[in-house]
Amino acid sequence: MAARNLSGFLVLVLVIAICEAAFVFHPITDAHRSAALDLFTPLDGSFSSLEEAYEALRSFEILGIDKKPDIRSTTCHSVLETLGSSSSSPKDLYHALRVNGILKCEVKEELFEGIVLSLKAIVSSASSLLEFYYSIGSLALIKDQSSNANVLLSDAAGVFRSIKALSQSDGRWRYGSNNPESSTSAAGLAFKALAGVIALASSEIDQAMLGTLKNDISKLFDSVEKYDDGAFYFDEKVVEAHEHQGPLSTTASVVRGITALADVTSGNIKLPGDKILGLAKFFLGIGVPGDTKDFFNQIDSLASLENNRVSVPLILSLPATVLSLSKKDQLKVKVNTVLGSNSPPLTVKLVRASRSGSKDGSIIESQDLKFDKESDSHFLDLPKTVDVGKFVFVFEVVLHDSELEKVYATGGQTQVPVFITGFIKVENAEIAVLDSDLGSVESLKKLDFAGESIVLLSANHLQKLRLSFQLTTPLGLAFKPHQLVEKLVRLQVFLKLRHETKVDHIFVVGNSGKKFEILLDFLGLVEKFYYLSGSYDIELTVGDTVMENSFLKAIGKIELDLPEAPEKAPRPPLQPVDPYSRYGPKAEISHIFRAPEKRPPKELSLAFLGLTFVPLVGFLIGLLCLGVNFKNFPSSAVPATFAILFHLGIAAVLLLYVLFWLKLDLFTTLKVLGFLGAFLLFVGHRILSHLASSSAKLKSA
Amino acid sequence: MARLITFLALTLILPFLCNSFSPEKPTDRRVLVLLDDLALKSSHSLFFKALQSRGFELDFKLADDPKVGLQRYGQYIYDALILFSPTVDRFGGSIDAAAILDFVDSGHDLILASDVNASDLIREIAVECGVDFDEDASALVIDHSSYAVSDTEGDHTLIASDDFINSDVILGSKKIEASFDFDVAPVLFQGVGHTINPANSLVLKVLSASPSAYSANPRSKLSNPPSITGSAISLVSVARNNARVLISGSLSLFSNRFFRSGVQKAGSSIKYEKSGNEQFLTELSKWVFHERGHLKAVNVKHHKAGEVDEPAIYRINDDLEYSVEIYEWSGTSWEPYVADDVQVQFYMMSPYVLKTLSTDPKGRYFTSFKVPDVYGVFQFKVEYNRLGYTSLSLSKQIPVRPFRHNEYERFITAAYPYYGAAFSMMAGFFIFTAVHLYSK
Repeated sequence: MAARNLSGFLVLVLVIAICEAAFVFHPITDAHRSAALDLFTPLDGSFSSLEEAYEALRSFEILGIDKKPDIRSTTCHSVLETLGSSSSSPKDLYHALRVNGILKCEVKEELFEGIVLSLKAIVSSASSLLEFYYSIGSLALIKDQSSNANVLLSDAAGVFRSIKALSQSDGRWRYGSNNPESSTSAAGLAFKALAGVIALASSEIDQAMLGTLKNDISKLFDSVEKYDDGAFYFDEKVVEAHEHQGPLSTTASVVRGITALADVTSGNIKLPGDKILGLAKFFLGIGVPGDTKDFFNQIDSLASLENNRVSVPLILSLPATVLSLSKKDQLKVKVNTVLGSNSPPLTVKLVRASRSGSKDGSIIESQDLKFDKESDSHFLDLPKTVDVGKFVFVFEVVLHDSELEKVYATGGQTQVPVFITGFIKVENAEIAVLDSDLGSVESLKKLDFAGESIVLLSANHLQKLRLSFQLTTPLGLAFKPHQLVEKLVRLQVFLKLRHETKVDHIFVVGNSGKKFEILLDFLGLVEKFYYLSGSYDIELTVGDTVMENSFLKAIGKIELDLPEAPEKAPRPPLQPVDPYSRYGPKAEISHIFRAPEKRPPKELSLAFLGLTFVPLVGFLIGLLCLGVNFKNFPSSAVPATFAILFHLGIAAVLLLYVLFWLKLDLFTTLKVLGFLGAFLLFVGHRILSHLASSSAKLKSA
Repeated sequence: MARLITFLALTLILPFLCNSFSPEKPTDRRVLVLLDDLALKSSHSLFFKALQSRGFELDFKLADDPKVGLQRYGQYIYDALILFSPTVDRFGGSIDAAAILDFVDSGHDLILASDVNASDLIREIAVECGVDFDEDASALVIDHSSYAVSDTEGDHTLIASDDFINSDVILGSKKIEASFDFDVAPVLFQGVGHTINPANSLVLKVLSASPSAYSANPRSKLSNPPSITGSAISLVSVARNNARVLISGSLSLFSNRFFRSGVQKAGSSIKYEKSGNEQFLTELSKWVFHERGHLKAVNVKHHKAGEVDEPAIYRINDDLEYSVEIYEWSGTSWEPYVADDVQVQFYMMSPYVLKTLSTDPKGRYFTSFKVPDVYGVFQFKVEYNRLGYTSLSLSKQIPVRPFRHNEYERFITAAYPYYGAAFSMMAGFFIFTAVHLYSK
């Protein structure tokens, strides 16, 4: 399940890559160099492991980067430590020796001799492929690094056979004799190990054994997988392996193994050149990986392909596949090796160039490109008869020295899609409002796309709008639109009417007869226009992939008078709200308080206050006039006391009322009034009964 | 025994590992990345590395890995999800569209990258987030006017767009500082366009296509008008319910190739050394993962003018003071948030008072106003919705009563004649009683 999806996705990625890169592979460029410096950055002056250090150093070496980080001292230190330690596994030794191969640390010869002895012991007792791979690999590295150590294997044929015993009938290999799973990347490791055995053999290896090995290789290549763009790759069929290996590391492993074998058998291995080229294309098609492991695998495999003894792939690349007629671009082709170095003398031949997707004959046939030494590229001036469009150019690489054809893989014919762009003239543009029934022209205006001018039109629902124009290609030939459409790749001719409320309608302008024309019958469009009368902006978009002057232009306004919308008419769709306005602060709100009641002026109130005392004053004057006296006031002490207390009580009650007004609340007032009332009742009763009895005495007297 | 020791060690470490998302530290920490293919890890490594260097723990899984899951024992084990698997038909494990939407609804963040031939599953998730991809699965956004000039790609599907949303909080304010002439390097885009539902106020267009763009299948001729055209096409959108979602119609937008590639927009003479993708996505991911624009409001206080304690009730016409503190999460600490557009409402059915709060540099917002002369149960409401920021919605209920019987005005000049009449009558009564009783 996972595997199927995975490969499915890879195919998809490549399909996308094809759409973009369009079969053009480019050799390694500076992008890889800057990426390498970004990727391989040592932490505190050293890499976390010797394996990583080797990947970094080897990538820098292949790419020819001089400004590499200085890690020599710390790395050499750990190399010597690993080599000196007796507990180092063959794998550790292998990585340390690989680093030493590049850094050339000062390793003592005695150290090598000790290692060689232990490695040889491991080789003779090894049972798993990885043990063979690391120990033989280490021995082969020591052979290069030390002149004295005796690394030659006495029983090379035996070792060869015990490695060969792990091979499977389908060209894949097992990791160990007790591990039944077979794997493609194990095959690569096995080839590399066998190449080491051959190199270390003290006597010639039996040719018959090499013959079966070649058989294995060709079987392995039967399982190679292919992308549509000609890239070949190997993938593991079994994904359940504990550590998943992607197609990149699998292919890299196989490539390393094959090229190593080819080196030691002095080119005795024959493989079809297109497969080698396909493998190179696979690595180049990946682009710049962002992972150190992938990056190293890519660069290292390309380096092994660069100088391999089977056949060296030559990559034909075009710096530009979009050529402009207006800028008089030349067709340029470069042929390099995968790492971007120069190719042997050769001629690039344009076999044919034909319009993509059309059955017409080719426009250019078999032309040789001229070679420019300075830019190291082959070029061709496009003939005058070439018009805009999308073409497929077919190139062929012919080596000057036919002997070299065995050394280099050129891959036969290479198809490259090329876009040729140019200015497309828009001519005879006019816009008109027509009367519906008669078809008579109401108002006709010429359009000038160069200027800024816009036209103003008005129409009602019984009229029609007609827009027409002609497109002419740079060659100026009077093409009929359908022929032009064939030349253009992805023509976009849109007429857009946009109402004031931002409701817009798009029409594709069709081609009829000699020109592009659109006729909008407003009667049939009222419903589509949601019965919205008013001003509409008219915009015209003309564009194409090969048109250098694609444009979007407001050409005018039309005032449309449409009938009233019936009840069931569709409503115009909601228009998106501007996000900025949606989030602004709201307007402040402050509460409006109730206005206080209107009052008379203070003076007036005070005047009336004075007036209210007038009756009291009148009353007092009246009393004086009547001759008021207090003769009835009791003369004896006890009633007089009660009288005084009674009147004081009344005064107190009245004062209480004043206090009630001034500050007291009802409850205090009533409480006090209760006491005062009882007091008043008592003293009032005494004085009033005294007065009553004294008046009764008077009457009776 | 050895096993027991390891187990103990693990249980001890576990509490320390859980330094994850919390209201106090809202930045996501643990991110699940679902890929179609592990090769994406390498081809999009710059994006992932930028995240890792900011302290995110990325957990890469194949989308159909049967062991993958968002929850364990009912708890979410990730704070955010990155879906770089446009073609996946069914996720492995317990994840499905509903699980992802629940994950987002519970406040976790999502980055979703779609592409040409996106699966129905991915479309469904996008639709639920308010984003509709072009119905034609193989349609691409094509723009003949603002494509990226390239020597090798002539079909105008590689678009250079610089129509960004104008928001510092989403895209960062460094954009302008970094360049000399206020020009922002366009972002390279190649993929499907989508539209956002105009009725949905939670979705924003972060990157829009130019007016001349349209979405169509590049392999077929145009006969009908394309379904979506012009600047209605959004290339990258974000949706949010305080969980943040980023939806892109292009997976290559995140790729190393686009990050490193130079860009020149058609019709412009300026050639940028580097496309704007890296900065655009770095800033955008900061926003998505709550390193920016995450607000919290604390210390809501209100009291009568001149007092300190919060009353249980206000009387009409009281003067009151209201204050709140707002902080923004900077990724590491809470910093005072200073803005001049925070507003408070005094609200009962509708706002009676709506006032913009004054602020000081410490993030304290304050204002004072008079309680309206309407009584009832009011609320102090702060509804703060700003482009890109967390929505703040605070409300605090407070009743307002009318005057008590003894709180009205007591000595009204206009009433003096009435008082005077009463008192003069009282004085008359007093004199009258004396005169009546004792006069002969």
